[in-house]
Amino acid sequence: MSVLIEATAPPAAEPARRPWRSFLRHRMGVVGAAMLLIALVVAVAAPLLAPYDPYATVRVNILDIYQAPSGAHLLGTDDGGKDVLSSLIYGARVSLIVGFAAAAIALVIGGLVGIVAGYRGGWIGSLLMRITDFFLVIPDLALQIVLVAIIGPSLGTIILVIGALGWTTTARLVRSQTLTVRERKYVMRARAIGAGDAHILRRHIMPAVLPLMLANMVLVISLAILSESTLAFLGLGDPTVISWGQMLNFAFGRGAVSAGAWWALLPPGFAIVWVVLGTTLLGTALEDALNPRLKRHHLEAPGGDVARDREATPLLPPATDAASPILRVSDLTVEFDSPGGPLRAVDHVSFDLRRGETLGLVGESGSGKTTTVLGILRLLPPGGRVVGGSVWFDGEDLLSLDGRALRSFRWTRLSLVFQGAMNAMNPVRTIGDQIAEAIRLHAPETSKQQAAGRAGDLLERVGIGRRRAGEYPHTYSGGMRQRAMIALALACDPDVIVADEPTTALDVMIQAQILDLLGGIARDFGMGIILVTHDLGVVAQVCDRIVVMYGGEVAEENGAAALFASPQHPYTQQLLLSFPDVAHPDRALRGIPGSPPRLDAMPPGCRFAPRCPHAFDRCAVERPPAYATPAGGRAACFLLDPAEEHRP
Amino acid sequence: MMDPLLRVENLVKEFPGRRSFVDWVRRRPARPVRALDGVSFELRAGEVLALVGESGSGKTTTGNLLMGLLPASEGRVVLAGDDVGRLSGRGLQRLRRRTQMIFQDPYESLNPRMTVADIVAEPLRVHRVTASADELRARVERALTSAGLTPVAAYLRRHPFELSGGQRQRVVIAAALALEPSLIVADEPVSMLDVSIRAEILNLLSALARDQGIAVVMITHDLSTVAAYADRIAVMYLGRIVEHGPTRAVLAHPRHPYAQALLSVVPVPDPTTRRRPVILRGETPDPSRIPSGCRFHPRCPVAFDRCPMVDPPLFEVGPDHEAACLLHEAGGSG
Repeated sequence: MSVLIEATAPPAAEPARRPWRSFLRHRMGVVGAAMLLIALVVAVAAPLLAPYDPYATVRVNILDIYQAPSGAHLLGTDDGGKDVLSSLIYGARVSLIVGFAAAAIALVIGGLVGIVAGYRGGWIGSLLMRITDFFLVIPDLALQIVLVAIIGPSLGTIILVIGALGWTTTARLVRSQTLTVRERKYVMRARAIGAGDAHILRRHIMPAVLPLMLANMVLVISLAILSESTLAFLGLGDPTVISWGQMLNFAFGRGAVSAGAWWALLPPGFAIVWVVLGTTLLGTALEDALNPRLKRHHLEAPGGDVARDREATPLLPPATDAASPILRVSDLTVEFDSPGGPLRAVDHVSFDLRRGETLGLVGESGSGKTTTVLGILRLLPPGGRVVGGSVWFDGEDLLSLDGRALRSFRWTRLSLVFQGAMNAMNPVRTIGDQIAEAIRLHAPETSKQQAAGRAGDLLERVGIGRRRAGEYPHTYSGGMRQRAMIALALACDPDVIVADEPTTALDVMIQAQILDLLGGIARDFGMGIILVTHDLGVVAQVCDRIVVMYGGEVAEENGAAALFASPQHPYTQQLLLSFPDVAHPDRALRGIPGSPPRLDAMPPGCRFAPRCPHAFDRCAVERPPAYATPAGGRAACFLLDPAEEHRP
Repeated sequence: MMDPLLRVENLVKEFPGRRSFVDWVRRRPARPVRALDGVSFELRAGEVLALVGESGSGKTTTGNLLMGLLPASEGRVVLAGDDVGRLSGRGLQRLRRRTQMIFQDPYESLNPRMTVADIVAEPLRVHRVTASADELRARVERALTSAGLTPVAAYLRRHPFELSGGQRQRVVIAAALALEPSLIVADEPVSMLDVSIRAEILNLLSALARDQGIAVVMITHDLSTVAAYADRIAVMYLGRIVEHGPTRAVLAHPRHPYAQALLSVVPVPDPTTRRRPVILRGETPDPSRIPSGCRFHPRCPVAFDRCPMVDPPLFEVGPDHEAACLLHEAGGSG
């Protein structure tokens, strides 16, 4: 038995220690860990570090009380004539023991409640979460005071009370993570394999929950230490042990303020701040590194979405007459910020769209087709920037418009049909209303009746019918919503519609209906359409001209008939061979070995070279420019270089 | 004639419908959603059957019933002599070893925290197939090799995020192969992958069927992806198989008007093929309100007077080729 269809081996190993790395990038976290570590060392080595034993009984001499810092007592003495520094060092033990022990209790309770509530769900889950909510809203401190006062202050009581009241945040965190993981496909797959709950909990839920609990634990520790100090300061600490809160309590209660003995007050206060700050910094950094949902957008762009090198931009608009293209994209280049430097998602992409023409922008994932249209529309996500090129729309450079001009431009001349039509509609307003609003927004002189009438006409045109204008989006099926979305795009009679994967999530029959509709609109309204898709079949059916993209570049461009009849770029050729065709079911499909390049690992020469069957040495080092093809288009491949010796 | 590995007999699945407020006010019971309404087919070892249909056709429900993930309301699924619906406990565990499922989304169906070795070993561990670490490792390596992930050593310690979509789907396939199943249900196995990757995964699945004798049920909405790979095609509409036959016969001469329409709208990557697409109006009706008679008649371009009255069974229209349309009654040609 041998199967000769092999995947290409993945690129060189990259250590999978991303959480650790992203933690180290967090300097504050490292500082916090160091602060906590110092406190731990001090607590463990207290007998070695403390110059005196604060637990030893000494006779109090009136002269020893509140002595200012000196060589013998570096931080002076307290109300009992004891060395403040020694008490401070021993106090670290109590504070940290309470912190860790209480956090352990809180974590066990919170973890159990969270996992059971998240995994079992149902009424048990609801009940547990209501209990959690109850504990969350009652003021912790008040309850702690009452409980400790009733049970009697001892170290054990304090730990128990703080732990038993501090588990709510953990429970909520763990529950939500458990819920997310439980719904994951890989858990469903494990069930289909036949795995039981124990297996799923152990292998899938726990590994996802534990790191979060670790990060959460650090924060719970800091809260517990703070609670202990507060209780001790209020006189509810264990009277037999020395803790920082206790020190403050005694100092305040026994005249340190009137004696001006700042040295009895400041050091314990400082110690509490030190440990709480350290744990908080550490906890925040851990949470950032381990909890993916909290990850901030380090991609946030500092400036706008356009940062072109002015000198490189041709500022002369192309000639504008009836025959000239309505949209001319030249050398459009888009970059995304990333921790490793800017990544170029679109690299010198150029094409024209003529009036009334339907242009297909085809490519696989990562080809930059969607980024290209988002760059044209100036709708790049945060972190994305147009760094070069120009977009001329009927004599105007879209990239130099300001926000206001851009907004008025967008729907009236250039509008958009998204992939996820379901999410593009406001669920609490009727479809007719939303279309009428778009009309009135861009043409304020339209009366409400006129706008509503026009919205009805548009719904009629896209095959929905005006009688459904008063319905809400949720009553529409997927195909109907996409039709409504097209009606919305038509609202202001634009010159160009950009449709980004308009049929991807739809059934074949609905797809045929939508494509038929788009084709009809292009014909009736003389509108230019840019159809962005991965589906060569779709472009073959509806497009006049096709731009094939690969790795952020235009690989080939030509008229639809010529491109399919005689593809020139090896990528186009291979892609056509891997595309199934019901008209020729006997043709074996070939697929292209390897996978499309990643943005952070673009081949230095031709982007397609690593997967290209015709690649030769030049392809690996040099980027091919666009050459004219015998078929009347252009393609970026050295095989088409008239000066190239190496030709098939 | 070899006994079929899988026999599906008159499978019906009803889900309790949701009672609307109006129903509640009028004291009407909720309408059940009839997701499957009498589906039968057989599958031999090493055969690839494509279940093709749009959303609401019942193809995914069929897959879940084959896997024993849902109980059938009526009818039986018989796998190598065992009635899947009657299995429980150990029997169900054994069934799970013999049937494996490949899910649509390779990005979601792998646990990002596990290595490839752990993912492929998971089913072996769940079923306690072997106590020996060496044998476990050998079986994991064999599964990875069968899935085309070689050299095996380059993949074992990887995490899913380090792999491309195609490689991930191969890991999913390797995990399914680890238990050496006799039936694989592949639910839209390539729809999330790039076109240039799809052919390889489909080639792999059909090679597994051919070389290892695994029966494959491929569930898809896309006729074109199965054209070159399936031995037989069953076209589903509203919980029924409306046409069923050898792939070539169904694609060359579809006999049911729905299959004809569906085939006519599949995009073909060739602008010179000017076909006459039959674009049906409207959408597949709600499975809680299945039309009377032939369930396709309200959208059928060639419906006639008897269609709303008679619910057509599958009529033979060619060798091993059946269609549920009154035009083909008594073996006549429509």
